This record gives sequence, C-alpha cells and structure tokens, in this order.
Amino acid sequence: MAEPVTEIENAARDRHQLRTLAVAITTTSAVLCAVTVAVIYAMPLNRLWFLHFPLGFYLLAQGLLIFAIVVAFWYVRVQERIDHTRSINEEIA
Amino acid sequence: MVGPSRQRTPNPHLGAYYGIVASAFVSLAILLALAEQLGWSDGSIARLMMLLPLAFYLVIAGASRTLDIEDFFASGRRVPPVYNALVLAAITVGGTGFFAYTGAIFFLGFDALAIGLGWTCGLLLASVLFVPYLRRAGAYTLPAFLGQRFQSREARIAAGAMLIAPTALLLAAEMKIAAAVFAIFMPLPFWLAVLLIALFVAAAGILGGMRSLTWSGSAEFIAGAIGLAVPLIVVSVLLTHLPAPQFTYGEMFGSLQGAETAAGMSPVGPGEIVPVLPETTPLQAGKPFLQSFGTITRTGFFAIFLCIALGTAALPTLLSRSGVTCSVADQRRSTAWALALVALFAITAPSLAAFAKILMFRDMALVPTEGLPAWLSVLSQLQLAQARDVNGDGVIAAGELFVMRDGVALALPILAELPYVLTALMAAAGLAIALAATGSHLFTLGTGLAEDIYGVIDVRPIELPRLMVVWAAIAACALVAAVFLLVAEVDALRSALTAFAFAGATFFPILLLAIWWPRCTAWGALASLGTGFGILFLCLTVGGFFGIAETATGICAASLMAGVLALGAGVAASLYGPAATPSDAAYFEAMRRPDGETLFDQAQARATAAEQRANEE
Repeated sequence: MAEPVTEIENAARDRHQLRTLAVAITTTSAVLCAVTVAVIYAMPLNRLWFLHFPLGFYLLAQGLLIFAIVVAFWYVRVQERIDHTRSINEEIA
Repeated sequence: MVGPSRQRTPNPHLGAYYGIVASAFVSLAILLALAEQLGWSDGSIARLMMLLPLAFYLVIAGASRTLDIEDFFASGRRVPPVYNALVLAAITVGGTGFFAYTGAIFFLGFDALAIGLGWTCGLLLASVLFVPYLRRAGAYTLPAFLGQRFQSREARIAAGAMLIAPTALLLAAEMKIAAAVFAIFMPLPFWLAVLLIALFVAAAGILGGMRSLTWSGSAEFIAGAIGLAVPLIVVSVLLTHLPAPQFTYGEMFGSLQGAETAAGMSPVGPGEIVPVLPETTPLQAGKPFLQSFGTITRTGFFAIFLCIALGTAALPTLLSRSGVTCSVADQRRSTAWALALVALFAITAPSLAAFAKILMFRDMALVPTEGLPAWLSVLSQLQLAQARDVNGDGVIAAGELFVMRDGVALALPILAELPYVLTALMAAAGLAIALAATGSHLFTLGTGLAEDIYGVIDVRPIELPRLMVVWAAIAACALVAAVFLLVAEVDALRSALTAFAFAGATFFPILLLAIWWPRCTAWGALASLGTGFGILFLCLTVGGFFGIAETATGICAASLMAGVLALGAGVAASLYGPAATPSDAAYFEAMRRPDGETLFDQAQARATAAEQRANEE
C-alpha cells in the first residue's frame, strides 16, 4: 500500500514543482521583457504622449512599476493556489 | 536551553499602536508649525523635529528588547506581512534612495530612472525566486542558509566573509546620509553626528536584534512616508492645484523645458553618469530632464537596471528578513507589499526632482547677480546650493548654479518658500528611513561576523554567550563604520551601487543554483561564490589600470559579467566535482514544500528532544 501512496505523493510534488517553475519563468520573463522593450523603444515612444508624459518616459517612470506591482500580486495569488492544490493532493494521498 | 517559541500569533493591537505612532508624528509636525507661527526659531523647530522622533524610535527599540534567540534573530517569526514590508521597503530605498536617488534624477532626469526600476524588479525577482524558499529553510542569515543547504561549514564561512563587502558598503552609505542630515539640522560637527548615529543604531540592534529593528523600523518607515508625502503634496497643490504629484508633474513639463532653455541647458551628448557620482562638491545641472539616454547609452541604462535588480534580489540584508513572518505565503505577500511601497517611492521621486528643478530654474533663468532669489541664501547657509558668476557677465545661468546632489529633497520646501517646519519634516523623514536601513545593515553585518564566521569556528551551546558575541560584533561594526566615515570620503550613491554590484555578482548566482537546481553541490557553491566575488573585486581594484569598472556603467557591466561567470563556475564545479549527497537532495525537496514548520526549527526541535532524552537517561 505504501508504494502507490509514495507514487501519488511524488506525482503531486513533481506537478507542483513544474507549475511553480512555469509561474516563476512567466512572471520574471514578462517583467524583464517589458523593461527590455521599453528601453529599446524609449526614444520612438517619447514622440507619443500619455497623461501629459512622453510615453517612453512614462513607461520607465511609472508604467512598468505599476505593471510589476500587478504581476507581483498575480504571482502571489497563483502560487498560493498551486501550493493549496499540492496540500489537498497530499492529504488525499 | 529554551526551545524555539511556537507562538505564531501576531499582536492584534499592532494597528492601534502604529496608528498612535503616525498620529504622534503628525501631531508633532502640527504643534511645531504652530510654534513657528508663534516665533520659535528655526533651530529649535529642527532640533525638536529630529530629536523627539529619535527618542520615540529608541523607546520602541527598548520596549522590544529580548534575550530569546528566535526573537533576536527572526523577530519570533510572527511579524504580519505588511509590517515586514515596511522595513523591507525602508531597507531597499534607504537614505540613499531618499536623498541621492532624488538628486540623481534632478541632475540626470530620464537617465536615472534605471535605479528605481531596478529596485522594483529586484524585489519581484526576490519574491519569485528566493524568498519563499528561504522562509521555508528558516535560517537566520543568508550564509547560514547556504551552510544548511550544502551541509558545508566552508560554504557558510565563505558566504559570511563575502557578505561583508556589500553590507559594509551600504552601511557606510546609509550612515553617511543619516549623519549628514543630522549634522545640518542639529547643527553639530560631522564627526559628532556620525558617532551619535552609530551609537543609536548599535543600541537599537543590541537591545532586541531583529525584533527591535522590525518594530522601530516600521515606525521609522511611517514617519518617513508622512514626512516625504506632506511637503511634496503641498508643493504639488501650489504648482498644479492637485494633491497627486505622481500624476500631475507631467503637466509642468512645458514650464520645465522653458525654464531649462532659458537657463541655457541644451541636450548633452552620450557620455557617462560619472559626473553625478562624486557628491563631495556641488554640481552643475546641465542635462535637460526629459532627454533620454543623454549621459548614458541605452546599453548602459539596461546594465545599471539589471545590476541593481540582481543586487536587490540577492541583498543579504533583505533576505535575512525572509524568516520573520508566520508562513511561506505570508512572506510572499510581504515581499509583494514591499515591492508596491518601493514602486510607489520610485514613482514619486521623479515628481520631487521635477518640481525642484522647475522652482529652481524658473527663478534662476539669467537672474542678475544683485537680484538673486531669497531661497538661494537659505540653501547657501545650509550648504545645499550656491551660485557663482563664473564668467563675470553679471547674470547667473544654469551652468553657474551649483547644487548638492544629496540636498535636492531638502531643498524642495525651501525652493517653494514653505514654512520651515516642512523642511524639518522632510529632513526627519529622510533621517528616519536612513536609520531604519542603517540599523538593518549593521545587524546583518554583525550577525554575519558573529554567527557565520566566529560562530562556526567556535560553537558554544549556551544562549547568553551566543548573543554576547553578536552584541560585540554589532558594536564593533558600528565603531569601525563610524571611524571609516571620519577618515574616508564616502559617496553614498557610488557606495550603494557598488554594494548592489557585489550582492548581484556574489550571491545571485549561487542562490539561483541552490534553490532551483538540485544537482548543485558545496563545491559548486564555493566556486560560484569565489568566482563572482573575485572577478568583481579584481575589476574594482586593478580594473582601473585597464579602464574597467571606473564608471557606474562599468561597475554594473563588471558585476553582470562576474555574475554570469559565477553561474558557469557553479554549474561546472557541481557537474564535474563530487555529486550531491542524498541528504542534500532531501534538504532540497524539503525546502520546496510550501507548508509546515521551517526546516531550521524542525532541526532545533529534534536537537532539543534528543537533549531531553539524553538528560532523562
């Protein structure tokens, strides 16, 4: 009886680690890619205006920071759900 | 021996206590504003605005005193997420952010935004990559975590030794800022201000360790936030008629560009950020605020951003606070709240710099030397700015106005001709944030030396001597930092940048491998630590002969290169050295479980139980 339980636990652990890795990669790459794009295109974007700010300036001074806040709280929520799922799976096992 | 506390219930009255703290600070400012109208001198107002909050912080630190090991090193692991976030944000921004970053934006405008962006993204990286796992491990210090992860005393000692560079540099930077503000407004000689600040932070750290720093740091952050917000909102209302400076300073860009043009500023060519780094002398503001990539290239901007992000994510002082909350989920939430607070500061700082620049150059556009504005004499008295008619043409242009980089935040209420109490409030706010950061860096340095170097060499199973070693280390570090500041010229921004470079190159690669790669071994850890630290150290010491790492961009590029090589060295040594042991793999798996008691506490509980069984037998 012990072996199937261990297998179920291992499967739950592996699924948890895979989903955790996927969320970590998504979160960090989303923000880093956004910063990279904003830095590369800052000068052309500065020709556009948003809320009285040149758009390139706005993105680096405020827009990306607000985006980082949103992503951080999204990450907290998603990761808590992933952890909760693992706990439930282990309890069932 | 007392076992670790299992009580994990936060104090339910914390909200009321900190409401009282905030109310007391606001009441003090209002009373001093009334006193100013009654004719009290500026000196009395400044002294009371500085000293009363300082006494209050010390009382909070004293009331949080403890001899319990878990309370001293981890604040009892029951700090609510938001309160931990307040201290994390204070450590990340610090006095350097409050004064030097706002000054850097004043001089560099767009080009300095890389710093604030780096802090925010760094906290995101820490939150996602490191913090939950460090909370699960539960080690009191970053080197202790590496020692546990690899079951290696050598890795712990090496990390403890390499922690000295970034932490000591940040300690020196923050202490310099705090002492400079204290010296201006008390007024005191600089050496006396340095000694008093060192005494204050050492006392707070010794009395209750992490517990004192958490509760006094939370109060300091609240004072800092109020003190920054009030003068800035008043200036915003005066200039834009709206109390939201972050969103309204864009309306002033037309006026700003007009003032800059009238003052003779023209776009600068691609050069370097270096002119703003040495702040020992007042500087000329020559770059238009909105000009993008004027003093640094696009690559340099990205290098500074990435270096600061990696350095923030792996900063030992921030990560040593990873074990203070009740659970892994709380620690994650705490870091997200800290990110939000740091981002709010980073969003606010450009508005402060823009308002200061508008007010300064609107009044200074080709003013005859006989008709200089009144604020210039006040700023000259405080040694924050001075005007010199260099070419003798009888007018002052932008190039003839010299401003102290770290004094821009203090200059704002003076430029807007606000009541003096708001200048004192801004100074008290910056001082509070600098003290919170100084105390935490000092504690991290002291515990690193005592626990990770001395403690590993000389293990004593008795509680009191263990704390006494930490007290001695904290006192010694405070004294050495004070003496260093008295004999050496420290530029806060350059020191902080170098500290983030060291943290990123030394600790980011090994933390990434230790937490995300089960195959990583103690050999890999030693190789990674040695490579990252060694290469950056070489670049900073002998790189000058070859034109490497002389400028901010150069330091950041060297840090990134050292980090990449350290990652490679860690992977290579792990793959080609001895394989990971089964206990390493078991620790790795246990560390990644999201629930349950910390691994450190489990080990402590097992040791206590074994000791009790041995005593019974």
